[in-house]
Amino acid sequence: MMCLGIESTAHTFGASLVDSDDRIVTNVNSTYRPPPGVGIHPRKAAEHLATVADDIVKTALSTKEGSSIDPDVIAYAAGPGLGPCLRIGATVGRALSTYLKKPLVPVHHGVAHLDIAMSITKARDPLAVLVSGGHTSILVHVGKRWRVYGETQDITLGNLLDMFAREAKLPSPGGLSVSREATKGENLIKLPYTVKGNDVAYSGLLTAAATSLRRQGNLADLCFSLQETAFSMLSEAVERSLVQTRRSEVLLAGGVAASQRLRQMIGLVAEDHGASFHPVPIEYSGDCGAQIACSGRLAYESGITVRISDSFVTPRWRMDEVDVPWIPRA
Amino acid sequence: MDTESLTSTPLHRGAEADLSLATIGPWKVIVKRRVRKEYRNPILDERIRHDRTISEASVIHEAKAAGARVPSIVGVDIENNAIVMTHLDGTVARECFDDMGKSEAQKLLRSIGEQIGLLHKAGIVHGDLTTSNVIVSPFGAPFIVDFGMSRRSVEPEDRGVDLHLLRRSIIASHRQNPSSMMNSMIRGYEKTTGKKVASSTWRKAREIARRGRYFAIR
Repeated sequence: MMCLGIESTAHTFGASLVDSDDRIVTNVNSTYRPPPGVGIHPRKAAEHLATVADDIVKTALSTKEGSSIDPDVIAYAAGPGLGPCLRIGATVGRALSTYLKKPLVPVHHGVAHLDIAMSITKARDPLAVLVSGGHTSILVHVGKRWRVYGETQDITLGNLLDMFAREAKLPSPGGLSVSREATKGENLIKLPYTVKGNDVAYSGLLTAAATSLRRQGNLADLCFSLQETAFSMLSEAVERSLVQTRRSEVLLAGGVAASQRLRQMIGLVAEDHGASFHPVPIEYSGDCGAQIACSGRLAYESGITVRISDSFVTPRWRMDEVDVPWIPRA
Repeated sequence: MDTESLTSTPLHRGAEADLSLATIGPWKVIVKRRVRKEYRNPILDERIRHDRTISEASVIHEAKAAGARVPSIVGVDIENNAIVMTHLDGTVARECFDDMGKSEAQKLLRSIGEQIGLLHKAGIVHGDLTTSNVIVSPFGAPFIVDFGMSRRSVEPEDRGVDLHLLRRSIIASHRQNPSSMMNSMIRGYEKTTGKKVASSTWRKAREIARRGRYFAIR
């Protein structure tokens, strides 16, 4: 069985094939990059996705030898994300499903981040830490669903790094630029540290860092301090959640999981409490078609499909509103 | 006071502190030592541990004066970021909920609500209110512990965070119906804070819950 996954929730259009043994057969992606100092404009991102969609899907459905593969199931990212972008992927998904007469499966983008990370790192029932531009959540699976144990009360970790990078005119992706600068910094500047129980709040931190930058603060030191403060806040919330939930595995997934410093910190928290650490490989941390294909296959095998007439997109869709019966993993 | 000269036996490893048991004269005491976190930058780490140790000790004193059931402070060791307080006999609420019948659990939550109300009325917010931070005495009376994240505040926002965190810990860790559990808690809370504070805090708590990511506007 081959499942085609289509990702198009924000800046990335991706298509990927995953087989019934959970192997990623193909994974083709194209990401819209705004100029430095500018954020993602939903319409411009959607235009990019629409332009590349055709080629990406064709490439993802081709073997190395050039022959084409017919998928048995079509999965599309149904949300959460930017409306104009979501509609591109959904349209492609519906068209393929109708033309090939294959079932259509709606996938939650955040759940998919966790699914691909769990598949590759062989996690069974972890405390999951999802860090990206759309999510900053600490989750555990109870019953049929992921439950949010802690999360950001305002902006996400990805937002924080992107918005600071934008303010500093550093190129996209912001997280990578900030971490590059941070390696040159050494003085820890005092910035707001806000942990509320298992929740974090980053907006005060962003304002303080941006203000300091405008007052000619040293960029390298600010990037260093921003990372140290923001990651420590999350690590503390993760540590508390880990002690309370007593899980024996810690999963780190999502785009910001590519940060070496964050991997190191969450890894230390896991180690300190005798839990195994499962960070998603960096090449699958950011948005990609493979995550949707991986999650779509699992959903299909649990009997989840959608009729074309009901295949809506859901720009706002919480992790704890989706049934995920395939966890714990075998 | 110097906690290093005390003979103590390790009791529990929490998320941010190690608890150990010691004896001072006739009293059984708990030594709560905030340990260095390997993942954290050393300067940031020292600042957080120092600030929280001092704030926790003084807030516990104030809570006691307000009539809430909390441990008593025996001493503070600022050098080692440690607090010495009286030992409480009992079970962690997280452990006993699932073995309880509905009415027993509701009674306990009402009583927990009363205690939170006493704190809030005295201008103290806990900041990390979960069922893991409530100890139920052998006579069924709940004690609130772990004031490491607590602050002085009369803001509905901060009070709301307390109730929000408690609600979420009930949803995430217990199988009882969360809304009936929270109703009992609110009844007890209302008893000590009065109707006005109770309704504004609860409204805030629900608002905070909706602040999480991707709540649809319904």
